[in-house]
Amino acid sequence: MSTMQKSETGPGGSPPVAKPEARGPGILTNIAWTVVPYVASVVLAFFLGGLLIQLMGYNAVDALRAVLTSSFDTSFGMVETLHKWVPIVLCAYAFAIPLATGKFNIGAEGQMLLGATGGAAVGITFSDLPMVVLLPATLVAGVLAGALWAGIAALLLVRFRVNEILSTVLLNFVSFKLIDWVATRVWPDAGAGHPATTPVGDGARLPLLGSAPAMHSGVLLVLALAIFIAVAMRFTPTGFEMRAVGDNLRASMVNGVRTSRLAGAGLVIGGGLGGLAGAIDVAGVHGRMLEGMQSNFLILGIIVGLMARGSMLALPVVAFGIAVLEYGAGTMQLVSAVPVEMVLVIEALILLLLLLSDLVRDRLRSAR
Amino acid sequence: MTATPRLAMTDVVKTFGPVRALDTVSLEVGANEVHGLLGGNGAGKTTLMNVLFGLYKADSGTVLIDGKAAVINSPKDAIALGVGMVHQTFLQVDTYTVTENIVLGTALEGGSHSNGLRAARERIVELSERFGLEVDPDAVVEDLPVGVRQRVEILKALFRGAQVLILDEPTTNLTPQEVDALFASLRAMVKEGMSIILITHKIRETLAVCDKMTVMRDGARVQTLDRAETDAEHLAAVMVGESHGSYETAAPSTAVALGATAEGATHKQVVHGDFAPAIRIESVTVRNDHGVDLIHGFDLTVGEGEIVGFAGVAGNGQVELAEALTGVRPLLSGSITVQGTDLTRAQTSHWLSAGVAYVPEDRHRDGILPKAGITENLILGSHRGRSARRAGLIDWKAARERASVAIDKFSIRANSPATRAGDLSGGNIQRVILARAFAHEPRLLILHNPTRGLDIGSTRFVYEQIREAADSGCAIVVISEDLDEVIAISDRVIALYQGGQAGEWPSTEVDPYEVGRRMTGLSTSRTGGAA
Amino acid sequence: MSEFLVLVVPMWVVFTLAAQGTILSGRTGVFNVTQEGVMALGASVGFLVSYKMGSNLVGLLIAFLVGALVGLVLAYMTTQLRLDQFVVGLALFFATTGAAGLLYRQVIGVTMTPPRVDTLPKFEIPLLGDLPLIGDALFVQDYVFYFAVILSLVMFWFLQHTSAGLDFRSVGENPKAADSLGINVTWARTWSTVVGTGLVAVGGAYIPLPFTGIYTDGMIAGRGWLVIALAFLGGWRPLYVVAGAAFFAAMDVLGQKAQVLGLGIPHQFIEMLPFVATLLVMVFALRWARQPAHLGMNYDRESRLVG
Repeated sequence: MSTMQKSETGPGGSPPVAKPEARGPGILTNIAWTVVPYVASVVLAFFLGGLLIQLMGYNAVDALRAVLTSSFDTSFGMVETLHKWVPIVLCAYAFAIPLATGKFNIGAEGQMLLGATGGAAVGITFSDLPMVVLLPATLVAGVLAGALWAGIAALLLVRFRVNEILSTVLLNFVSFKLIDWVATRVWPDAGAGHPATTPVGDGARLPLLGSAPAMHSGVLLVLALAIFIAVAMRFTPTGFEMRAVGDNLRASMVNGVRTSRLAGAGLVIGGGLGGLAGAIDVAGVHGRMLEGMQSNFLILGIIVGLMARGSMLALPVVAFGIAVLEYGAGTMQLVSAVPVEMVLVIEALILLLLLLSDLVRDRLRSAR
Repeated sequence: MTATPRLAMTDVVKTFGPVRALDTVSLEVGANEVHGLLGGNGAGKTTLMNVLFGLYKADSGTVLIDGKAAVINSPKDAIALGVGMVHQTFLQVDTYTVTENIVLGTALEGGSHSNGLRAARERIVELSERFGLEVDPDAVVEDLPVGVRQRVEILKALFRGAQVLILDEPTTNLTPQEVDALFASLRAMVKEGMSIILITHKIRETLAVCDKMTVMRDGARVQTLDRAETDAEHLAAVMVGESHGSYETAAPSTAVALGATAEGATHKQVVHGDFAPAIRIESVTVRNDHGVDLIHGFDLTVGEGEIVGFAGVAGNGQVELAEALTGVRPLLSGSITVQGTDLTRAQTSHWLSAGVAYVPEDRHRDGILPKAGITENLILGSHRGRSARRAGLIDWKAARERASVAIDKFSIRANSPATRAGDLSGGNIQRVILARAFAHEPRLLILHNPTRGLDIGSTRFVYEQIREAADSGCAIVVISEDLDEVIAISDRVIALYQGGQAGEWPSTEVDPYEVGRRMTGLSTSRTGGAA
Repeated sequence: MSEFLVLVVPMWVVFTLAAQGTILSGRTGVFNVTQEGVMALGASVGFLVSYKMGSNLVGLLIAFLVGALVGLVLAYMTTQLRLDQFVVGLALFFATTGAAGLLYRQVIGVTMTPPRVDTLPKFEIPLLGDLPLIGDALFVQDYVFYFAVILSLVMFWFLQHTSAGLDFRSVGENPKAADSLGINVTWARTWSTVVGTGLVAVGGAYIPLPFTGIYTDGMIAGRGWLVIALAFLGGWRPLYVVAGAAFFAAMDVLGQKAQVLGLGIPHQFIEMLPFVATLLVMVFALRWARQPAHLGMNYDRESRLVG
């Protein structure tokens, strides 16, 4: 059913635009209208979080200082933060790229675990191969496994119109069991004390940079990828179409964009990036696939994806901010005894306040 | 007129911002009366009725029902006072039965829910038999055709005890048989003392069923006529504006004024045969959103450099025709060939690359990416084209430069090419859409209501652009509800009525009255125009 | 068999309570996706209150109230502020997930042996409880089970057999039509979301009560998402949900017991069953499962005039 009144668009239907043609706001004003509410939301969320910490009987200042600064206090902290940044930013892309076409991928952790499994499978099976062959093969296997896993959801969506939110979520839980089987039956490491595969070959390990603390080169790889994605979303016709569809699906269709094909493609690309997160953590951090390595990167990825408000340039920066908070959370628990979950609550608060700030901003803008 | 009328609205004023939508309008409707409310688009008919039904609050004016002052702040108040309204879009729950839809929101009597439903069902059967509104009370409404769903909507009002029933363009999606049945029902209702207000633009139907009719134009009442005192010719004349004097001086619309002053005098005076064919449409059938084949077996050829204008009242197939001609809406049958290329089954993108450009009616929904800048909006649709890319990537620098040129050329008022399209005014959005259409170097340009809501300057600008494109050989189809506009800019005028061509005239032989008659469904002609 | 049923029934209670809560708000068009977090929060709050107060009933009631509060936030942000239902739901899912762990850690801290609460006593319905096979499972149960049964019947009766239910459902099918007939869309959406989310929390709070009496992080283990799938597959109808919940519960128990069953295939593949089966059913379910036409869509009264 059409929602538009067809015959009479009198003054009631759409009031004729009679206001004087105001000059559009300048770029600086636009940036201010974006940045100010953003910063205000973050500050307010920390204030509320701090209040909560104080009410719970801890020292809020100490706790928040630990959350915000421990990444920058030591070089070890910075390396750990960057190592966390890699899966967070990739899982955020896994969420944000399908979202650009209007689809919700809530399956980044499953895609990440499959990617880890794919990478580990190659890294273990061909462990004797030299690095020039094995490392790229490991990473590519991760990407393919993640893309394939998301491809199930894409197929169910395009072919059977199964809601992608549910299919991607349910596939997460299937993946938990699948990797448990891989870690305990297929390539089990009995000595690990925790379900994990045997180590991958040395050739599958990402080279380390610097020494004690050493950073794995996956960080640079993802940095390059982040630039590539920002460029691709901005400069390729497909990237442009994705943004267009997210902005106005009808107008995109009228102007020749094939919208449903784009939706499936978005999910598969997102899955590939989730898979890469798994493969990099295998090749760079753990040296093996192990249960629980997905941590809470799904949730963090979604938070970052939503906080970036569709900007592929802002996304890696926001992801870094979240990585700082996540690293700081552990220090906070040590220093102030505030449970780490506090940080998740603060992050959720930032998100809710950001949503609210849109309303406040729109009201202020129209009141001008 | 006897004693107190059933309904008396006096000096109703309603403004939307600076726009005066209703200008001291008065309306009296008696019992036992079907009252037609006539007028073109934007005349204020629906606005007036929305005031009566409590959807709008009037700025001033009074409403008396049976002589008593009525305070109507919401549809609930209106219903309580015995006013019912049947909207063009039915407000029904698709999955509910007819009975469930009718009783929705009423307090059922009879103790239990099932007893209450049974009692309600009996009353519905009784009402539907009494007024000839044939309907199965147990059918699920989503399975019912439009005509029956309309009866459900009428029964909904009757069930709530409506004494004044408003029907907004009720015949738009009905077959002739259904129209006859509806009118018989309306007569049966007024016979029992009800009052009915029929919002319509179709003169013949008005004459067939109404006892009285009020003609509105530009938010004001023009005249109230008795059925016995008028005929089709007279009514058409009042609607178009003859009663105020000559046609041109009474309605000095921007279109006519500009047509006369701008290039009108020098514009080529040509006849249909002079153009090499650019687009051929052969027996095209298109389905509307309600599942009706509104456009059926449609044939049309437009020549290079020719401007063909479709005049008609909204809802007569304009949207469907526009979308069929631009590859947006799939054809049920028939074929469309543009410059020798068969595009019948082609993707929308192929239509674009074949040189078809579309200026849609709904600029916000179909026209722009509101959050993207002007540059992005201008490149949309041609972003895969060779000229837009360098080394496979979109060349934004060049696109920005082209956007700057377009901003100058099309006088788009914006700070920079980065200004978000959603922040622009309606007129500037239309300039952006036009700029995009022309940037594609169109061979066929489809424009739907291209100047609605625009100020005089923008309107003039749009006409100049259309003429310029035609002079360079582009085939142009203008679909508009503004008759003056169609006449002013077209080489050939076609009246659109219920999805079909109700008459065709070369620009040199257009008689606006004749076009007006044809587009409102009158086939008898005073002068015998071409058909 | 009887033993298996005795395990399945408590899971049935969990799925039924949470899914009935989900469809209650769904029927007015509010698509709630906070289950995974709200169930965890309900479990955490319910456990902690039971532990401190020594009363399971008080624990369940407080869990309901906390869930209702989350529902109120969801309802306010979607009906009054008209923010995207799914995005707000996700944010609340994160917040409640964090809050669940946070509260437990705050009150209990980190311990070697987790504290326990009493499990719920069971009531036997005379005579019926002696029936073979199903007697123990269906007629020797705790009060939450009976509550779930009664709730399902009441919801069925309310939705399908009352005038108020007819009006209520119309809000999710066509809010504009409902509004035009004087039905209060905002009120219907608000109370159904408040009560519904409260029920979801009770579903979570019930999980430790039949057997273990222990709260652990991650004990919801995806059941919140399965609840949403169950609501879809049950066509947003209370009685279909009752049947569907039995299927989901059976799958759940099968998965839990996979390791001790020894069926010759790796237990992980049996543990996948609830999720894989749900995915497969969803492929075919679309042919028959209906959903409220305006599920997940906010209603803007101002757009009334152009409709």
